[in-house]
Parts: sequence; structure tokens; C-alpha cells
Amino acid sequence: MIELEAVEKAYGSGSTEALVLKGISFRVEAGEYVAIMGASGTGKTTLLNILGCLDKPTGGHYRLEDTDVVSLDDDALSHLRNRKIGFVFQMFHLLERTKALKNVMLPLIYAEEYPDDAEERAKKALTSVGLADRIQYKPGELSGGQQQRVAIARALITDPAIVLADEPTGNLDRRSGLEVLAIFRRLQQEGRTIIVVTHDQAVAEHAGRILLLSDGAIAHDRPVAEPRDAEAELASLPKEDRR
Amino acid sequence: MRIRRNLLLSWEILAAHKLRTLLSVMGIIIGVAAVVLIVSMGRGAEERILGRIRTMGTNLVIVRAGQVRLIAGRQRQMNTVRTLLPSDAWAIAEECPSVASAAAAIDRNMPVKWGAGSIVTRVVGMNEEGFRIRNITTPSGHPFDSQEERAARRVAVLGHTVARDLFGDADPLGLQVRIRRVPFEVIGVAAPKGVDVNGRDQDDVIFVPLRTAMRRLFNVTYIQAIYVQARDAQASKLAEEEARNLLRQRHRLRDKPDDFTIQNQVTLLETEREMSRSMALLISSVAATSLLVGGIGILAVMLISVRQRRREIGLRRAVGALRRDIRNQFLAEAGLIAGAGGVLGVTLGVCAALAMSGLGYWEAVISWPAGAVAFVFSVSLGMVFGIYPAMRAAHLEPIQALRAE
Ligand SMILES: Nc1ncnc2c1ncn2[C@@H]1O[C@H](COP(=O)(O)OP(=O)(O)OP(=O)(O)O)[C@@H](O)[C@H]1O
Ligand SMILES: [Mg+2]
Repeated sequence: MIELEAVEKAYGSGSTEALVLKGISFRVEAGEYVAIMGASGTGKTTLLNILGCLDKPTGGHYRLEDTDVVSLDDDALSHLRNRKIGFVFQMFHLLERTKALKNVMLPLIYAEEYPDDAEERAKKALTSVGLADRIQYKPGELSGGQQQRVAIARALITDPAIVLADEPTGNLDRRSGLEVLAIFRRLQQEGRTIIVVTHDQAVAEHAGRILLLSDGAIAHDRPVAEPRDAEAELASLPKEDRR
Repeated sequence: MRIRRNLLLSWEILAAHKLRTLLSVMGIIIGVAAVVLIVSMGRGAEERILGRIRTMGTNLVIVRAGQVRLIAGRQRQMNTVRTLLPSDAWAIAEECPSVASAAAAIDRNMPVKWGAGSIVTRVVGMNEEGFRIRNITTPSGHPFDSQEERAARRVAVLGHTVARDLFGDADPLGLQVRIRRVPFEVIGVAAPKGVDVNGRDQDDVIFVPLRTAMRRLFNVTYIQAIYVQARDAQASKLAEEEARNLLRQRHRLRDKPDDFTIQNQVTLLETEREMSRSMALLISSVAATSLLVGGIGILAVMLISVRQRRREIGLRRAVGALRRDIRNQFLAEAGLIAGAGGVLGVTLGVCAALAMSGLGYWEAVISWPAGAVAFVFSVSLGMVFGIYPAMRAAHLEPIQALRAE
């Protein structure tokens, strides 16, 4: 599904050039759940942006479902992002003055064909992340965890094969974080490929495989013997305020 | 369509930033409102002047004895010239092919009495054709006819102002007024005509048969004016020329200057139209300037808006928006707010114009075409000035845009 070969990324040029990714190679098969870990500034976000076709590598090869991404032009990359990839950002990136429903529908505006049931689909996506009763709320009226789930619903609206998340639990408390991780697990069970960037070992252990990034290169690539179960952990949490 | 789906969302976002949006179109609102107001006022003024010219008569050419000069903006007949005669009027009517008819006239200010009431008014001696040529109607009574004219009968048609001043609400028909002690029977009251081009009350007047006036009131053999009606508007220039040649010949002027002055209604109308055209041109250039300022307002605020919304732009790009989607979105937004500003401006201008005429300061004729043009112009202006900000937005790299604070 995803195949990186000696991918390099340099920022700046000439004397100020900084090589952030120094030859990264790995494969991710369809349906895998991968966590990317690493210290701050090692290039996790940079790598994820390349995986999500938001940015192009300055060297090496990136194949996504047999498409050579490096050779694509800007429009083709946009189409690819719209059809294949769902992005969940660390900062949520919701439209502040716009209701949850419209926020979730945003990617459909740029779909090749606008579905007649766009609103239905958005409602379904919001329901699937447990926000059926928050459809008409604006981001400012939602908690951080709820906002992140709206962002996930938005990533799912186009039914993408790949979901990429950059520190999806970074701004959330433990319960909200676990709820998000439970959703990712479910998405994997639906057959999607999940790649999550995190610096939190506990979060990474929900994935089936952990890639450790260090100084722009892959230091480890190991499977998780027994991935943690977010549902079970949620159930074991003391039952105080729900949401 | 992609743009239409997007426009709803844009509208929500713009509506959420009411102040910013309003500020950006302030220039356009004021510019458009000013255009609509000024054009409406200009049209009102033009309509009024054209109306005054039309009340003079139809396809009218006026011959006046002697030289007529403009003094303080008003026409004044200079020294008395005795060369213009009733027979000149006859000759013009008979011999000029482009002339339909002609009426001679002479007037003096004289005291007029009825009962205890006394006023001084303009007494006009005129051929009976004069009524038709000058569009003077008598809803009450009738004008004098050629019989009464030839017999020099003492009959009078009162102007509306004179009838009101002397008789109030009473019916003057059949009563006798005295013009300089000579008794005249009132046979008609003319319909009101308002002020003329010189601002003179056209209703403060009494019409009497020409012959009566010359013999019994003024004791003269000459006349002051000939009202000539051309066959139609096209013939009026020709009629003017024919009348001039004929009079020069009859007065044996050879190489002396004219002892008369000819005024042509068509020329007057043309001059007036010319003036309002150049006025309109002036207004348009002022309007264009103010709308240009409005466009720059849009440019400035759109640039700020693009800067503030970089993360939104990055997000849209991340979920699949093409560069041209972003460009079109911001173009459409610029057009949208400019259009909304245009509508507001037209509304404001129309309200102001209506208020002006409602308060009686000025006759305003609402100019809907001017409003439509101003609206279309402001939408295109918004789009033109939106191009640069829209290009800036489209050229943002998604990563950079998403990182923006
Ligand atoms: N647009 C850019 N221009 C120049 N340098 C950049 C740019 N983006 C990232 N970098 C540099 O690349 C390096 C990696 O950045 P990146 O955001 O990928 O790190 P990260 O692993 O995601 O860190 P964190 O855990 O703090 O999010 C950093 O040293 C950063 O300064
Ligand atoms: Mg990062």
C-alpha cells in the first residue's frame, strides 16, 4: 500500500539547507496500524506530511498504491488527498465559525462528484464518533476531545483508505484520548490503514507496529506483541463525568 | 457546482466577520449611494428644466424684436425696436414652407382691476393661433377666436395666477375686469403652466386679442414677438432659417445686423441635454473615483482576510481543494461582498433621494439604470480587486498555510 524508499527531505537551500529526513525506507501494508515515535524535532510531522501527499520528498521514492507520488503535479496531489487520505491534525484545524456538520462536510465540497446524501453521510460520520447530539454545535462550543472527534469524522467522510493522525491525543485528557484511540482501532478493523504520530509510548502501544524515528532516520521498526485495547481501558476507568 | 456549494460556506464565514466585511465595502456602499443620489437629483433637475422648455409650446421658434441679451442669467429684451409688424407674422405663416403657423404678440405690464381688487400684471396681446402654438389651454371658458380678434373685441383670458389673485375661488367667467380703465369681459381661464425657463410665472398674465391690445391698450403699430410653429421637430432649424431670411428681406437689412432675435426650442432642448450630458460625465468620473477607492478598500481587507485565514486555506488544500478552488473562492467572496455593498449602496442612495424629494428640497427622479450599472460595476470591481488577494491565497503552500498562527 505504502512504500518509501530512501526518502529524503531538506528544508531551505544552499548554506542554510537542513536535511531533516535522511533516507527513510519502509513499507506499510493495507490494514496495518502503525505508530511513529521519536523525540521532538526528529521529523515525524515532516514524514507524515509526505505520507499524506501534503509535501513532496526532496529525494527518494514514495509509492502509494502503485502511484509514484513524487512525479505528480499539484492538482493530482490534491485529488489524491481528497480521495485516499483522511488527515487528523494535532491542532484540530476546524473552521471556527462553522457548525460541526458543515466542518465534516468540507472535504465533500472538493470531491469529484458531490454526493446527494452529503448531509446524511456527515451525520453518520459524526454519529460514528459519538457526536450525534452535537451536530449543530460550533467548535467553540465543544470540548477538546469533541473537537478532535469532529476532526476525525471529517477525515472519514470521504471513506479514505488511509487515516493519518499527528499527535491526535496530544491535547486531550486520558479519557478523551482513549476514546479517540478506540475509534482508530475500529477504523483498522474496518480495513483502513492507520498511521499515528505520537511521542507517548502508551499511545503507540495501541498500534500493531511502532516505528522509532531518530535524527531523521528509522532507529527501530518492531511489531507490538500485544496491542493495548482502548475499549477495555475505557471500561476500567472510574465512572465520573462522562464527556 | 463547486463554487456554489462553497459560496454558502463563504457567506457564513463572512457573516461571522460582520465588522471586517462591512468595513471592506464601506467605500463601495458610499460610492454607489452617492452615484444613485446624484444621478437621481441630476435627472430631477433635468426633468424640471426640460418640462419648463416643453411648456413653451411644441416645435416652437420664437422671433423677438431687437436684440435679446442674457442679463444675470435671464433673457432681457433690450431697447424697443419698432420694425417687427403683425404683417411679418402673416408673411412667415404664409411664405415659409417649414412653418405650420405663426402668431404675433406684444405685452406690457398694466394695472388690472375687479371690484375693489387691483393688481399689476402682464397683458399679452396675441393672435388666436398663439393659444395652440404655445400650448395654452382653457379648461374653463374658451380662448378668443379670429372673429373676436379681427373685430378688436374687449375679451380676456386670465392666467391662473391672475384669476386666483383677483377672484379667489369665485368663477370669473362673464365678469368684467378693467385693464387700465378699459372694461374687458372674461371669457376663459388658462390652465396653470408654472414658471418658464427664466423663472418667470407664466400664469401671472392676461391674454387679449392682438388687435385690441394694439389699438385700445398700447396704441402701437408694432409687435414684440412672433411665435412660430415648425411643421415638426426636424423642420424647426429650417423654419428658423426661412423666417430669418424672410424677415431680413422684409426689413431690408442688406448688410445690417438682424433687428430681431430668433430662439429655437429645439436648440434650447439640445443645449440643455448637452449640459446634462456633460454633467453626467462629471458625475461618472467622480463616481468612478469613489468606487476605485472602494475597490482599494476591498483589496486591503481581502489581503488581511487571506492572511488571517491561512490555516483555513491550508486545511481546504489538505482535504483536496485545488489551487484554483481557493482562487475562485476568494474571487467569489470579493464579488459577493462587493455585490452586497452595491445593493446596500443602491438602497441607501434611493432612500436618500426619496427623502430629499419627500422633504421637498429637490425633485429627484430615481434612476434604476444608474443603480443597476452601479451594482454590476461594484461586483466587477470587487472581482478585479479580489484577483490579487485570491492569487495570493491560491499560491500558499498547504504545509506553510497550516503552520500559520
Ligand atoms: N518549513 C520548514 N522550514 C524549515 N525547517 C523546517 C520546516 N518544517 C520543519 N522544519 C524543521 O524540521 C525539523 C523536523 O520538524 P518536524 O515538525 O517534522 O518535527 P517533529 O518530529 O514533528 O517534532 P514535534 O514532536 O515537536 O512535533 C525541525 O528541526 C524543524 O525545525
Ligand atoms: Mg510534529
